[in-house]
Formats: sequence, structure tokens, C-alpha cells
Amino acid sequence: MSRNSIPAPPWTRVSMRPRGQSVWKLQRSERLAGYGFVLPISVLFAVFVGWPILFAMYLSFTRWSGFGAPNFTGFANYTRMLNDPVAAGAFVNTIVFALVTTIIQTAIPLVIAVLLSAVWAGLGVVIRTILFIPGIVSFVVSGVLWKLIYDPNLGTLNTTLKSLGLGDLAQHWLSNPHLVLPSIIVVSVWAATGMNMLIFFAGIQGVDPTYYEAAEVDGANRWQQFWYVTVPGLRVVTAIVISLNLMNGFKVFDIIYVMTGGGPSHQSEVFGTYLYGLAFGSTSGSIPQLGYGSAFSVVVMLLGGVAVLVQVILSKRANR
Amino acid sequence: MHSNNPFQRGSSFVSSEFDRRKLLKLGATAAAGAAASGVLAACSSGGGSGSSSGGTATVRIWSWYTEMKDTLPAVIKDFEAKNPNIKIDSRIFGTPDQYLPALTAAVSGGDVPEIFAPHVRAITYGEQGISADLEKELGSSFLQNFFPPTNQEYTKNGKQYAVGWEAQTFGLFYNPDIFKQAGVNGEPETWDDLIQAAAKINAVGKASVSISCNPTTSALDFFLPLITQVADDPTYYLKLDQLQEGYTYTDKLVVQALELNDRIVKAKVFQPGTTGTSGDQAQQLFYTEGAAMFFAGSWTPSGLITNAPAAFVKKYKVMKTPAIKSGARHWTADQAGAGFAVSETSKNKDAALTFLKYLYSDAVYSDLMNKSNSMPSTQSAAEKITNPMLKLMTSWLPDGCPHIPFGAGSSAAGDPLGKIFDQSASPATVAQEMQVAVLNAKG
Repeated sequence: MSRNSIPAPPWTRVSMRPRGQSVWKLQRSERLAGYGFVLPISVLFAVFVGWPILFAMYLSFTRWSGFGAPNFTGFANYTRMLNDPVAAGAFVNTIVFALVTTIIQTAIPLVIAVLLSAVWAGLGVVIRTILFIPGIVSFVVSGVLWKLIYDPNLGTLNTTLKSLGLGDLAQHWLSNPHLVLPSIIVVSVWAATGMNMLIFFAGIQGVDPTYYEAAEVDGANRWQQFWYVTVPGLRVVTAIVISLNLMNGFKVFDIIYVMTGGGPSHQSEVFGTYLYGLAFGSTSGSIPQLGYGSAFSVVVMLLGGVAVLVQVILSKRANR
Repeated sequence: MHSNNPFQRGSSFVSSEFDRRKLLKLGATAAAGAAASGVLAACSSGGGSGSSSGGTATVRIWSWYTEMKDTLPAVIKDFEAKNPNIKIDSRIFGTPDQYLPALTAAVSGGDVPEIFAPHVRAITYGEQGISADLEKELGSSFLQNFFPPTNQEYTKNGKQYAVGWEAQTFGLFYNPDIFKQAGVNGEPETWDDLIQAAAKINAVGKASVSISCNPTTSALDFFLPLITQVADDPTYYLKLDQLQEGYTYTDKLVVQALELNDRIVKAKVFQPGTTGTSGDQAQQLFYTEGAAMFFAGSWTPSGLITNAPAAFVKKYKVMKTPAIKSGARHWTADQAGAGFAVSETSKNKDAALTFLKYLYSDAVYSDLMNKSNSMPSTQSAAEKITNPMLKLMTSWLPDGCPHIPFGAGSSAAGDPLGKIFDQSASPATVAQEMQVAVLNAKG
């Protein structure tokens, strides 16, 4: 260390300790400083996140309607889940929604980001802005908006199709059991493309341009440059986008709740909407089933854990 | 090198501010602050937890009865002027979807509003000691003015846990212009008449009857007259809903009613996609003249006045739901899905009861019902109805079966019933699924 260098403060030294060095080898005051800094957020996390998670896990082993003492029922809620046809449908819908949106919401933004940085560079700001606008609109507002667009009688979509002479293509988009989930997925893609495109676009700026120069010297065409330079260069970014999409897909609630409430006949029901209805007895007004609903929330949390695991694995591979 | 960096070791900031003791103190303060904010957040519930301060009792009243949002404030103002020691904090949520989670949270948190709409949970909450026995608190003389089915709905084992606010029955609202255009003469009296009328209406490119089956519990409202007519017993569905001994959804009467329902669906009486149509959408289809008829409850006139064009409000009419054969009784629902319960545990229960009595005082209640175009639950207010549509529907109440699908398992029966509407299962299968679903829901 030179005489003029600024000694690092204790907390930065804590973070800069060599890997494998035990925290107990630090000075006591340094340890306390570290603990002091993490204490407030730890308390907040414990009160507002940790405790509710633990309580939900506890409730998932009980039968409770929100009054009186919860009755411990062991794994009854989980075994009931296995025999519940609505739960089975919701599980399939959740997985389908998560996987399909993850694939589409990763592929399309990637392609657009590449086009924006390589082909449409002149229009970049305009297109980025247009594509980003849906991302700043809340899912609830997007849901209401698209519900109006999809309305079979007065909606813009069917009206437009009819005015173009394509009336045969007009559909009951949200009440047709076969079309409802794809229709909602379109809205999700519409809303998520802008943000994911921006993440990819930022990632592309970080790819070393000399790689492209070298590829060009080697005779690589645009497609080869994309496949052999851009895609590998975006591995970490792609891993993050995939995991974000997976997590958002597994815990999807608002957009479906607003657009269909899980209908028709549970055809668009996902875990998020089903557990909400069970826990709060909304719409039908049935007695709240907070225990059974909590069991679903635990499963959603585990699915979220899967998404995190995917991100960790992909990131590790990308960093190799 | 001299640095202004306050984080530099040896700077006055570090030496004086970050010694161990101060750090601990800072941490403890932060933790206490965080904990306190959590506690405070939990304690403040916007309306003041039914608090009493300076001798003033606060009475919170929660519902989703938006018809009252313009009329209730004036009533509250008058009441507060006459009762300076009671403050009313009214909260009208937009829909049951928005309201019920809030009520569930309030009940779970042990901070139940003094007066609240119990939805279908009235008896459950009453039996759990959450809502008060109004027979005891208000006396039978107060309750005898209500239509008997509205009292019966909230009563179990001699205790009444809520009172009806808006009475409820169902009918077929219709557009006479579309009837004329399609060549439908007069109101269909029987289901067969309706099926014939539907064919004519569909032929002119309109949907015949607009109905909401999303959520599927709404489909149960349509099933109620069918099962009652088939059984020819106004209390049959009530017994079924309560799963009284000898009453099951697999009974042949239920299957017959489901077969009738199935026949009506197959005849294309309803618009396509009923199980994906919400109540708002079904109503909209009617007043935008996409459908000739609309099956819904007595809250519809109020909704149409708010949402539909004035010209449409002037021309639409309402008829009874068809009967199973000519001359037979129509049987439709007669209860009050909208009611009010009083918290048993609030320290301001007496103030709440005082306000409730004021709300139901003859002049106040009649005025509220008329201004909001709602169907009253009391017989004296029913005599003063001014809206002709509501006057007509109220006159049907004696022809009503004293029930709306209201049991704990009712909502569970809606899902299988939806399969009749989307034609994904046979009546016999649906009957079996209804029985299983209701048993599961009841535990």
C-alpha cells in the first residue's frame, strides 16, 4: 500500500476479505459494524417477509378459516391438492404459462434487441420507447385494457377483424376454453417484451466489439456473428431474463385475475388465482380456506425456487 | 493526503461516530424503529379500529353496496348531527372481490368493523361469536317488519346474525324492440316458449338470453328456479343446500332439473361463452342490444340506470323466469344477498346498533332504497317503492322460494354446474360431481 493511498473503511474490508477467511478472524469492532449495517434490513426482512413465509408454511399444515385456532391437519392439504381436479388444471396452466411466456419473452426481445443494435440503429430510440411503454403500464391496467380489446361484442379486435372482412376469425377470445390461455399469454408477451428487450440491448452494448471484428475478418456472416458472438456473449443476461420470466410465470396472478378470474370454468386458472380464491373466498364468497390456500402458496414458492435454481445453474455455466 | 471522505478511517466521522457502543445503539434504535413501524402499521387500519376518543365512538360500516355511495353520506351526516358522540366511518368497496379479502383480513386480525356486510358468511361468523345475535340485540318487534325469507336466511338455532339490506329476486329483463323484430309475441311463459322465442331471436342475428356464468356460482341462480319447479317444492333447494338427510345432488329430481337446464343450453337460448362472461359483460351485451333478454337479479335496474343509455332504460321490461308448464308457479329466489351484521366483540357495539336502527327507521330506509333504486328488505319500505320495475319485481316475492344458493357448499356446486353451460359433461355426471364438490367443501 502506498503512503498516499486511502485506507479502506472497516466495512469495505469486511466485504473484501479473502474467500475462505472466517468472519471471526476480523476485529470485533469490524464484525459489529457489519452486523450493525445488516441489522435494520434483517429485522425488516424477518418481520415482513420471513415471518409471513414461516406462518404460511405453518398454515399449510392446518385447516383455518381466519377465525378461531387453526387445526393441525398434517399433510392433508397437500394430499387434497393431489386429488383436486381444479388444482391439477391450475398446475398445468401455471407450468404452460411459465414455460411458453419464458420462451417467447426471451426469444422475441433478444431478436428485437439485436435488430435494434445492428439493423434498426437509426430508429433505436423510437422503437425502444414504443416497445417499452407497455412495460411501464401495470399488469392490472394492461389486463383491463386487453379485456376490452378482446370483448367479443364491442372489442377492438373482433370489430377490426369484421371491418376487414375477416369476421370468420372473430372469436370469444376469453370465454373459449381453447383460446383463453393463449390470449392471456399474448398480453403477457406484449407487456414484458419492452423490458426484456432493454435488458438484452444493454447486454449487447457490453459485448466486446473486437469479437465482431474478428468474426468479420474470419468471414462470418450476420447470422453467424449473432449465433457465435452475440448469443454466447449474452449468456449471463439471458440467464437472468429466463429466470425472471420463469419466476413471473410461476407466480402469475394479476393479469389473469383481472382478465378472466381464472375462467371460463377454471380454464385459465393458475396457482396464483386459485389460492387467492381459496384464501379469501372472493367472488363466490365461500368460507376462506387459508390453510389449503397457504399450501398452494408454498408450492408457488418452491416453483420460484426452481426458477432461482435455473438462474444459478445457467449463470455458472455462462461464467465457465 | 488529506481527504474529505467521511468514510476514511481516522476521520472524525469514523472515530467519533462508529465506536462499538454507538453502533450497537444505532442498531438497537433501528431495530426498535422497524419493530415499532410494524406494530404501528398493524394498529392503524385507516378507519381507526372502532376507536373511542374523547367520548366519541367510531362505528365503521363496510360493504360493497355501491348503489349507496351517493346517498349514504347524507344519512350519515344527519345521524352524526343527531348523535354527536358517534362518528360513522363508511367504506364502500367496489365489488365483493375487493371487499371479501378485506373482511377476511379484518376477521383474521380480530378487528372486525362494527357493521359489515357478511356475504354468505353470516351464520358461520355468528356461530363463531364474530357477529352479534340481532334477535337478542334488536328484539323480534324490530325484525318482524322484514320479509320472512330475509330473516330466515340469517337465522340458525333461534339466533339471527344479520338483517337483510336489499331483498333479492330474479327475472328475465327483455328488450321489446328485439322481440318485435324477431316476431316474438308476448312474454314466454314456459321454458318451451322461451326455446321457441330463442330460435326466432337467433335467426335475426341476436343472442337470445344474456347470462353470466363467470363465476360459475352465478349459474346456480339460474338453476334455482329449475330445481324448485321440477321438485315443485320451494324449500327443496334449501334442504339440498343444507344437505339435510335424504337430500343429495344425485337425486333424480336434481338430475331432471339438470336435464332441463341442459336442454335450454342445447337450444342455444344463451349467448356463446357463458362461462367466460362476467356479470358486467352480460349486462353490457343486453343494453348494447346484442341480446334480447338478460337473466339477472333485482339489482339490475339500479345498474342499468347507471350504465345503460337513457333511451334503453326507458324501454326495457322485465318478466318472471319461465315456468315448467303453462299455469304453473314460476318460483324464483326470495332472500337478501345484501345484508348487515354487527360485530359482537367491538366495544362500540351499542353505537353500531344505534346507527343500524337509524338506518332502518322507516323514512330513512325507504328514502335510501328509492334513491338508490334498490329492492328493500322490509315490508313497510316495499309499500313505498317508486321505481316501477322494482315495484313489479317486489310483487313477485310471494311467488319466491325462500332461498338463494347460500350454503357453505353452494359455491362448490357451481363449478360442476358450469359444465352444463359449456356442454362438457352430462347431467348425470354433473349431479355426481356436484355432490362430491359440496361434500368436499363442507369438509
